[in-house]
Amino acid sequence: MVDGMNRRRFLKVLGVTGGGAAVVAGCGIGPEPTEKLIPYLVQSEDEVPGVPTWYASTCRECPAGCGILVKTREGRAIKIEGNPASPINAGRLCARGQASLQGLYHPDRITDPMARDAQGHLVKITWDDALGRLSAKVKDARGKGIVFLTGLEASSFGDLVDEWMKQVGGRHVTYEAFAFEALREGNRLAFGSAAVPSYDFAAARYILSFGADFMETWLSPVGFQGGFSKAHGFQAGRDAAMAKFVAVSPRMSLEGMNADEWIAAIPGTEGLLALAMAQVILSGHLGAAPGDAGRLTELLSRHTPAAVADATGVDAKTIERLAKEFAASKGGLAVAGGMAAQYPNGAEIVAAVNILNYVAGSVGKTVKFGGDLAAGGAGSFRDLTALLADLAGGKVALLVTHGANPGYSVAGFAAAAAKAYRVAFATVLDETAGAADLVLPDLHPLEQWGDSRPRAGVVALQQPAMQPVQSNARGAGDVIAVLAGKPGTFKDYVQGKWKAPKGQTWADAVQHGGAFGDAPVTTAHLGPDAAKIFPGKPAAPALAGDKGDVSLIVFPHYALYDGRGADKPWLQELPHPVSKIMWQSWVEVHPDTAKTWNVDNGDFLLLTTSFGSARVAAWVTPSVRPGVLAMPTGQGHVAGGRYAKDRDVNAFDLLPGAANGYGGRTFTVRASVDTTRDHRYLATLEGDPREGGESIVELLTLARATGLHAGEHAFAEEPLPEYADSAAAGWAAAQHDKASLGNYATQPTRWAMAIDLSKCTGCSACVTACYAENNIATVGEELVQRRRFLPWMRIERYFNQEEGRPVRAVTTPMLCQQCGNAPCEPVCPVFAAYHTPDGLNGQVYNRCVGTRYCANNCPYKVRFFNWFNYAERGGEHEAWPTPLDWQLNPDVTVREKGVMEKCTFCVQRIRSAEHQARIEDRSLKDGDIVPACAQGCPSEAIVFGDLNDPHSRVHALSEDPRGYHVLAGLNTKPGITYLARVVAGAEV
Amino acid sequence: MAQTTAPPTSGVRVTYDYVTRVIHRTLGDPGKGYFALLGVAVGLLTIGIICLLFLLRYGLGLAGYSHPVYWAVFITCFVFWVGIAHSGTLISAILFLFRSAWRTAVYRVAEAMTVFAVMTAGLFPLIHIGRQWYFYWLVPYPNERGLWPNFKSPLIWDEFAIGTYFTVSTCFLIMGLIPDIAAVRDLATGWRKKLYAITSLGWRGTNEQWRHYSRGYLYLAALATPLVLSVHSVVSWDFAMAQVPAWHETIFAPYFVAGAIYSGVAMVISLLIPIRRLFHLEEVVTIRHFENLAKLCLLTGMIVGFAYTTEYFIAWYGGPTPEHKAFYYRAFGPFWWAGWTMNVCNWFLPWILWFKKVRTNLTALFVISIFVNIGMWFERFTLIAIHLAGEPFEPFVKAGYNPTWADWGIMAGSFGWFFMWFLLFVKNFPAVSISEVKEVLPPPVRGRHA
Amino acid sequence: MTMHAGSRAALALVLLGCAAAAARAQTAPRYQAPVVKDTARLAGPRQPIFFRHDIHAGQDQIPCMYCHYTATVSTEPGVPSLQTCMGCHLLVGGSTPSHQAEIAKVRKAWSDRQPPQWIRVHALPGFVHFPHMRHIKALGDNGCVLCHGDIAKTPQVAQVSTLRMGWCIRCHVERKITRDCTVCHY
Repeated sequence: MVDGMNRRRFLKVLGVTGGGAAVVAGCGIGPEPTEKLIPYLVQSEDEVPGVPTWYASTCRECPAGCGILVKTREGRAIKIEGNPASPINAGRLCARGQASLQGLYHPDRITDPMARDAQGHLVKITWDDALGRLSAKVKDARGKGIVFLTGLEASSFGDLVDEWMKQVGGRHVTYEAFAFEALREGNRLAFGSAAVPSYDFAAARYILSFGADFMETWLSPVGFQGGFSKAHGFQAGRDAAMAKFVAVSPRMSLEGMNADEWIAAIPGTEGLLALAMAQVILSGHLGAAPGDAGRLTELLSRHTPAAVADATGVDAKTIERLAKEFAASKGGLAVAGGMAAQYPNGAEIVAAVNILNYVAGSVGKTVKFGGDLAAGGAGSFRDLTALLADLAGGKVALLVTHGANPGYSVAGFAAAAAKAYRVAFATVLDETAGAADLVLPDLHPLEQWGDSRPRAGVVALQQPAMQPVQSNARGAGDVIAVLAGKPGTFKDYVQGKWKAPKGQTWADAVQHGGAFGDAPVTTAHLGPDAAKIFPGKPAAPALAGDKGDVSLIVFPHYALYDGRGADKPWLQELPHPVSKIMWQSWVEVHPDTAKTWNVDNGDFLLLTTSFGSARVAAWVTPSVRPGVLAMPTGQGHVAGGRYAKDRDVNAFDLLPGAANGYGGRTFTVRASVDTTRDHRYLATLEGDPREGGESIVELLTLARATGLHAGEHAFAEEPLPEYADSAAAGWAAAQHDKASLGNYATQPTRWAMAIDLSKCTGCSACVTACYAENNIATVGEELVQRRRFLPWMRIERYFNQEEGRPVRAVTTPMLCQQCGNAPCEPVCPVFAAYHTPDGLNGQVYNRCVGTRYCANNCPYKVRFFNWFNYAERGGEHEAWPTPLDWQLNPDVTVREKGVMEKCTFCVQRIRSAEHQARIEDRSLKDGDIVPACAQGCPSEAIVFGDLNDPHSRVHALSEDPRGYHVLAGLNTKPGITYLARVVAGAEV
Repeated sequence: MAQTTAPPTSGVRVTYDYVTRVIHRTLGDPGKGYFALLGVAVGLLTIGIICLLFLLRYGLGLAGYSHPVYWAVFITCFVFWVGIAHSGTLISAILFLFRSAWRTAVYRVAEAMTVFAVMTAGLFPLIHIGRQWYFYWLVPYPNERGLWPNFKSPLIWDEFAIGTYFTVSTCFLIMGLIPDIAAVRDLATGWRKKLYAITSLGWRGTNEQWRHYSRGYLYLAALATPLVLSVHSVVSWDFAMAQVPAWHETIFAPYFVAGAIYSGVAMVISLLIPIRRLFHLEEVVTIRHFENLAKLCLLTGMIVGFAYTTEYFIAWYGGPTPEHKAFYYRAFGPFWWAGWTMNVCNWFLPWILWFKKVRTNLTALFVISIFVNIGMWFERFTLIAIHLAGEPFEPFVKAGYNPTWADWGIMAGSFGWFFMWFLLFVKNFPAVSISEVKEVLPPPVRGRHA
Repeated sequence: MTMHAGSRAALALVLLGCAAAAARAQTAPRYQAPVVKDTARLAGPRQPIFFRHDIHAGQDQIPCMYCHYTATVSTEPGVPSLQTCMGCHLLVGGSTPSHQAEIAKVRKAWSDRQPPQWIRVHALPGFVHFPHMRHIKALGDNGCVLCHGDIAKTPQVAQVSTLRMGWCIRCHVERKITRDCTVCHY
C-alpha cells in the first residue's frame, strides 16, 4: 500500500511534467514554475515513465463482457481499447466501454464509507465501523429476509454472492432494466429452451432485424456490429457482394439508418410480419425447413401476407418480396429484440421471428444455440416486482445492492425499499446508493480483480490496471469474501474458481484477458407451444395504459443505456447516432404529426400516460412513423453526480411498474400529448439535415457497385485546369523541400486515410475514442446549444427524402481531411496552420493566436476554437475537474483558451511510432500507426497509412472504383478517400 | 473651374479677418452641449473597456460566436471604421489635386475623422484574436525562434495597408494644421498659446515657408491618393481571398472602395451638420458644400447599388452553385432582416438624392446619412456573420448566431473612443482650414476698408 | 508490480554497474571530484540531499544510463528510484563525514519509506515533446552533456542551456535535422 501511496504522489508530479495536465497557458512564457520530482521508492520493472503499459481486462459497462486493453502511463489508466484476443469484440470497443475511464476518475466518487446520522444525513465512518454495522445487521436480519440485489452477474462475484446468501439464508436477485425477458420467453415458446443463442451476423447473407438494436445496446453490440459489417459491407469479388439488411421497426434506430430498406410497421405487429414471411417461405417450400415445420401450417395459414397487411401497415407485395429474398439468400438471419421485444406481446413476436428463422433453415446456421449468451441468466422484471412486493410487505429486513440502480428505473422502488435497512456498494451516489442507510465505496472494475462469462466457453478475466483512485475504497468482492468467511482476498476466490483450460496457466490467462473457447453448437427443434402463438385474428396489440391514443416507444439510449452512462461527460456529449442530440432528452415526432400539432424542434410536449407524465422537448424527424412518438431512456437522474443529476426527464416514469405476461416490462405505452408554449434550443450537432446538392455522402446501388471494375471511377471528379494542378503541386513540393531535412529527407510520406461508408454504421465509437486520445474538452449543454463543441471527429447524418420515395438516412464521419492543398494554411498569419513535410495539415497550438481565419476558410468546418479556458481549475467551464484530469493523454497538449484545434491524424501516435522505428533501426511498416478512431471502429471502416507507399492498404483503397473525395471541386486535394456506401436495392 | 473663381461663402461679408475670428471662435467656450456630448462619448468608452476586460479574462466565448460563425461583430466594426476613414483622404487629397475649391471648408473635419477612424479600426483585429496578448506575433520582428509571419496571409497585408494609411493620413492632417495653428496661436492666450507655439513648429508665414509648404502638401497629396484605393482593396481581399461563397468575388476591391467612400462621406455629413450648428459656421460651411458632399454620396451609392445588383445577378445566373445558395440565404434565410436593411439603406435610399430639394435640405441629408451608416454597418455584418452562418459547403454544421452584450458593449466603446477624440480635436484645433478658406476669398482691394 | 522482483533486478544491476565501474577504473585516469567547501557558491538549486553527480558519474565513473536507464527507451529520462540508490548505499557509507551525513539521509529516507523531493532543474513547457531516446540514439550515451552540460564534473546540477526554442533550432539546423513544427509541438 505504501508503495502505492508513493507511486500516487510520484504520479501527481510526473503527470504534470509529462504534459498531461500541462496547459498551453504557460505558452511562450517558458517552463512551469518549480516542481518537485518525487522518485519511486521501488520502481516496478513493468513501469517505464513515458512508455505505456497495457493491461488486459474485461469491460463491465454492460453484460456483453468485451475484452479490453487498458493503456496506462506512469501508473494511470489513460485509454481503453478493445482486446484483439477476445472473441466477443475482436479488439473493438463501443463508446460506453471507452468512457468507463470517466467512471474510474469520476470527480464525485465516494471516498469513504458512509452511514445515516440522527438527522438522516450520510456521514463518513470508518471501515471497521461500517463492517461492524453490516455484520450486525446481517446477524439480526437472519430469517427476517435478506436480499442481495445486483446487476446481471455471470461471474465469480455472482457465485460469491450466491454462496454468501446461502450462508445467511438470503436470496440473490439480479436486475437489468433491459433484461431480454421476451427474448428468453420467445425462445422457450419456439424451441422450448429459454437460452439466448449467439447470432452469427458475419455468416449471414441476408439480415432482417425486427426492432433489434444490435449495434447499440442489444446483447453484444460491438461483436454483432463487427459481424454485421463483415456481412453487409461491400466487398467486390465476394460471391454475394453484400448481405442485404432490412430493418423493421416503427422508429429508425441506428439499424434503420444502415438498413437497405427500412419498414416502419405499426408498433407491435412485427410478429405478424414475420409469420407472414414464414408462411410465404413454408407454403412455397422456399427454405430448407426442418421436417417438424409442418406443425406450423395451421398457425401460418392464418397469417398470409394479405391477412396481415392491414394490421402491419405493410402491403402484401412487400411482405412476399422480402420473404422470397430472405429465403433465396440461403443464409438469412432474422433477429427480434429491442423495441419489438418490449411490447405486451413481445415474447410472441420473438417466437414468430424464431419460426421465420426455423422455416428458412437458419437455426443452427446463423442462430447458434449452445454458444449461449449470459443474458439468458438475467433476472426478469417479474423477479424485481416480486422483490418490491416483499419490500413493501416488510418481508425484507436487509437489502444489499451492487451494480443495479432500480431507484432510477423503477418509480416505486425508493418508497418500498425504505422499510428495509439498505446497504449499497457503489462508486458514485446514484439514486439507489444515495437512499441507502449504509454506503460502502466500491472499487471501479478497472481497479479490482474479477471475471465474467459473457458466452458459453468464454471466461473473461478482469485485473486491476492501476492503484485505486480513492485510496479508502474497497472492492465489494473483498468485503463480501471477508463476510462470507472466505480464505484470502476476492482475487484468490476468482483464481480458485478458475479452471485452467488445457495448457493455459493463470498467468497467461490474466495476460491475455481470459480463456476464450467455443461451445459446440446444439440443434434446436420446435417446442410444444410453438404453434400456440398469435391465436387470435391478426391485429396490432393493445398497448399498455388507457390514456390518450398516441403510441409512445421508450428505447434505450445508445450511450446512456439504462441511465448508467449519464454520469460520464464523454457519453453525455456524444451526439446520439440518430438524433445527434447531446446532454438532453427528446421525443421524436414525425413532421406530419408535428404539423397537425403545430410543433417545431425544441417545443416542449407534455406526455401523459396512465403511469406518469413528462415534459420533454420535441425533435421533429422523418425517422419515426407518423403518429408514433419515441423517447430515449437515460436522462432525468435525481442523483448520480454532477453530470447526471437534474438533467431533463426520466422516461422510465412513463412506463408501467408491473411485469407483463412474459415477466418483462412493457416499453411501449399509450400516451396523451399536450403542446406547451415553452421552447428550448436543442443541444445538437445538427445544422441542416438536408445535403442540399452538396454530395457529402455518395451512394451506389449494389448492381452498379458490382459492375465496377478496377481502374474505373464511379465518381469522376471534374478535371482541374492545369494551372490549378501545377500550382497545388508546386506549393506542396515547396512545403516539402522547406522542411525536408535529416530523417525526413528520405521519407516523402503522405499520411492519408480511407473510410469505407459501406462498413461505417455511424455508431460513433470513433468519436469517443478521439475525445479520449486527444484530450478534447467536453463543454456542457449550454455551450453545445451555443455551438461551442469541439468534436474533431463528427458523424454527419443526412436524411434524403425526395417526394414519394422512402426516407433514407446516410451517415459519414467528417474530420480534418488533411488537404494536400489546404485552404486553412495560406491564410494563417503566423504559420500555426501549415503543411508538414509528411503531408499533414499541422496545427501548432502554442503558435496559434486565434484569428480563426483558418476556420472560416475550411469548407469542411472541422476546425474548432477554444472559446473559454476549459482546463481552468475551478473555472465555470472546467472540463476535467480532478481527478478526471488524471485521464489526460500526456502525449497531447491541452489547449488553452483562444486557440484553434483540430484532428491531426493522431500525430502523437505517428511520432511515437517513428521514435520506435528509429530506435529499432528500421523504417515504418504499413499498419505501425493506427489512429484512435481507426482503432476503435467496431466495423473496421477506417484505414490509415502512407498514400505514397504503393504497397500500403490506404494506397490501394484510394484507387478503389467507389472512392471519392468530399468537395473535390474546391481543389483541396483531401487526404481522406471515402468509399461510397452501397445500397442493396433497386434505387439509392 | 467655376468653383475657384466664385467664393464658396455667402451671406455676411466674409473677410480674411472675419474668417480668422469665426474659426477661432470654435476654440472658445463651446457651451454645455459640447460637454454633454463629450460625457456621453467617454461613458460609452468606459462601457467598452469594461466589456473588453471581461473578454480578456474569460475568453472570446463571452461574445456571440458559434461554430461556424468565427468572425462577427468585431470584424464588422473593423471594416466599418476603415470604411469611414476613407472620405478623409479622398476629400483632402484627391479633390485637392482636382483643385475643387469647395473642399476647403470641409476637408479638415474629414481628415480628423479619418485619423480617428483608423485609430478605432486598428483596435478591432487585436480585440478579436483569441490570444490578444500575443498580438505582436503578427508583426515581423527578428526573434530567436527564427519565426516570421506568413506574408501569404491577407491579414498581414491588412496590417501593412492600414499601418501605411494611418501614418500618411496623420502626417497629412498635421501638415495642413500648421499654418492655421500659427494663425490661432497669435490670438490665443495662456496654456493654449504655449501648445500652439509648439505645434505650429515655428511657422511664421514667410514666402519661403509658404513655398515649401505648398510643395510638400502637394506631394503628400499625390502620395496619399493611391492609398484611398489600396487600403480598402486590401481589406476586401481578407474576404475575396477566402473561398467562402459570397466572399470569393473579383468585384470586391472596387465594390469595397466605393462602399467605403460612400459611408465615409455620409459620416462627414452626419458630423459636419451638428458641428456647423454648434460652432455657428453657417457662413463658412454653406449649403453648397453639403450639396457637393451629397452628390459624392449619390455617386458612390450608385456604384454600391450596381455592385449589389451584380452580385445577385451572377449568383442567380451561375445556376445551382454554392454561390447561389449563399445569396438565397442572404435574401430569404433566417437573417433576411440584416440583408434587407443593407439593401434598403445602401441600394434604394440614395436614389432620393437625385432631387436637389433633398440634397439642399440639411435635416433630410442628416437623416439619410445616418441611415447610410447603418446600412453600411449591416452590409459588413451580413457579409461576414451571415454568410458564415449559412455557409453551404457543409450543411450539417449550419448554425445560428446571436451577438451578446460583449459584442454590443465593445462596439459602443468604439464609438465612444472615436467621438471622444473627435470632439477633443474640434474643440482644441481649427476644425475648418483658415488658410485655405482665405485662399478662395476675393483678395482685399485698396479703397474698400476691410 | 511486486517489490521483491524489483529489488532483485536492481541488485543485479548494481553488481554489473560496480563491475563496469571497476573495469573502467583500471584504464582511464581517475577523475578526482573536488572537496566542496562552500556549497552556497554552487549554481543551481539546493537539493534535499546533496547528491553529487561529479562523484558518482565523474569520480566513480558510473555511466549515466545506469541510473537514468529509461532515457534510451523512453521520451522521459526518469528519476532513479530510491531503491537504485540503496543498491549501492546499503554497502557504501561514504568516506568523509560530510558524505556520510548525506548518505545517512538516503538511508533514512529508505527506512522511512519517504523518497526525497528533488527540485526540478530541467523543465520544458507542456506543449514541447522532447523524446530523450531519439537524442541519445543520435548522439550516443554521452550525448547528455550537449544539453545538460558536463554533469560528470558538476557537484550540483544547474541549468546550463536556455532550453528555449531558438537553442533547439540552432542545433537542428547545424545537424541538418528536421525543423518541422509538429516534430515537437502537438
